[in-house]
Amino acid sequence: MTFYIFNRKGRCQYYHEWQRLKPVRQGAGSQEEDFKLMFGLCWSMRALATAIDPKSPSMKQMGAPMRIGDGCSFNSIKTSSFKLQFLESPSGLKASWRMPGSGGQPCWGAGCFVLTTDPSVGSMVEQLQYIYASLFVELVVKNPLYTPGEPFLFEPFSAALNKYMRALGLLS
Amino acid sequence: MGKNRECAESCIDYLALALVHHYRTQGQGPSLQAALDAVGERTGRQLAERYARDRPPLLDQLEAVKFVCKEFWGEVFRKAVDNLRTNHRGTFVLRDTQFRWLVRLAQNQMPAQVGQPLPAPLSKADLAADFLVLPCALVRGALAQLGWDVAVTADATSLPQVDFTLVIRQQPQR
Amino acid sequence: MEMINAEIFTLTYGSMVRQLIADHEDVEEVNAQLDKMGFSIGQRLIDEYLAKSKTQRCSDFRETADRIAKVGFKMFLNTTATVANWNAEGTECSLILEDNPLTDFVELPEQLGALKYSNLLCGVIRGALEMVNMDVECAFVRDVLRGDDVYEIRLKLLSSSTEAYPFKDDD
Repeated sequence: MTFYIFNRKGRCQYYHEWQRLKPVRQGAGSQEEDFKLMFGLCWSMRALATAIDPKSPSMKQMGAPMRIGDGCSFNSIKTSSFKLQFLESPSGLKASWRMPGSGGQPCWGAGCFVLTTDPSVGSMVEQLQYIYASLFVELVVKNPLYTPGEPFLFEPFSAALNKYMRALGLLS
Repeated sequence: MGKNRECAESCIDYLALALVHHYRTQGQGPSLQAALDAVGERTGRQLAERYARDRPPLLDQLEAVKFVCKEFWGEVFRKAVDNLRTNHRGTFVLRDTQFRWLVRLAQNQMPAQVGQPLPAPLSKADLAADFLVLPCALVRGALAQLGWDVAVTADATSLPQVDFTLVIRQQPQR
Repeated sequence: MEMINAEIFTLTYGSMVRQLIADHEDVEEVNAQLDKMGFSIGQRLIDEYLAKSKTQRCSDFRETADRIAKVGFKMFLNTTATVANWNAEGTECSLILEDNPLTDFVELPEQLGALKYSNLLCGVIRGALEMVNMDVECAFVRDVLRGDDVYEIRLKLLSSSTEAYPFKDDD
């Protein structure tokens, strides 16, 4: 079971693994590559979902830039061996590469939360929402020593996350 | 006006944080200590004036300190002080075991770059120092409003527990 | 949201503005500093707003302005604003506040006529919207402290960028 928080620029701010049988080195190669692959997967899933969305009135081509508010999201991807649970902050994965003329260094907050679990685990949308609102906001955003958008490792957040996962029965 | 008005608790959290960040990054002008001392003392006076408006003057040391521990702490720091000790010679130690303004303070243990060594752990007292200037000044201001000249220092070695030491320097004029 | 008696916030804010006035000779500089402090607050506050209001994504700028007025102001300051004076393109509007908690207990002396006392709010809005990729201009155009009948914040959308994959393909 692994957990990622990506900022709105696609940078991994927080990563924790409880159980990862195959080491990252044999998977993506490096931790950095693993982050990029995971973010890329989520990004692509969203773009794909938007492209085939039968309810959307706008005709978006796959890969065409999306305006804010466009696009639909997904909650999970289930495979035969694991399930990827996904929560996007409503402001979402607003990568800024093409942002025109904004002066200074922008900072970024949380963009999305990703949790990999056993495929038998049910929907974790509400649980990820709880992690966002009650753990991330309270123990990270309100920590005076947190810089929005930057990677962090705060003991109270990690402890609360572990405790919550245990309470959910996901950790033995 | 304003008596029963409410706002989110986060407002004061964010404001206190912005104040520290602002004065940490100022190249000129007053130091963080001087500026937040002034901001807090002024605010503490105004708050005490409001909270103590309808009560007789607090001419006894212990009464004044108890007012700070209960009413003032309750309104400003959202709980009562857990423990009050005194040497009976004008020094009081107020212990708040869960000091609400700093309860979320924790050091970022993330290395600046992947592969770099972990940052050296800082003492909790060091991490908290800048963030305690405003609370200390609020308390000093409140007591000043009641007529007591008091020096206030804080010890955050066991965060989130904070010990505030009040040393009374001058009695009010009767 | 945990709510508190607003006095502590309002009075600390007032005391802070006084300190900034003492720090800077130029009132315009005070306005700029208030905006800057608000901006950094907005960058944090946006996540609390999004997470706790459980807002769905806003479809356009109109909806965004409406949410700030109805949900944002309510959530943090326990007051609401109305959205008015849209331009034809839907890129500019005003947030009208009849009630502004920041200015309880405040009277401005005449020599501070140029002070935008509540300018922190503009910074907060700018900072929060920047985080969701909306670049806005935000300024007080009417202020009860300066003799107007309401507070009016003019909000102008400069650009709202599109989403793009943040890494180069060959990266």
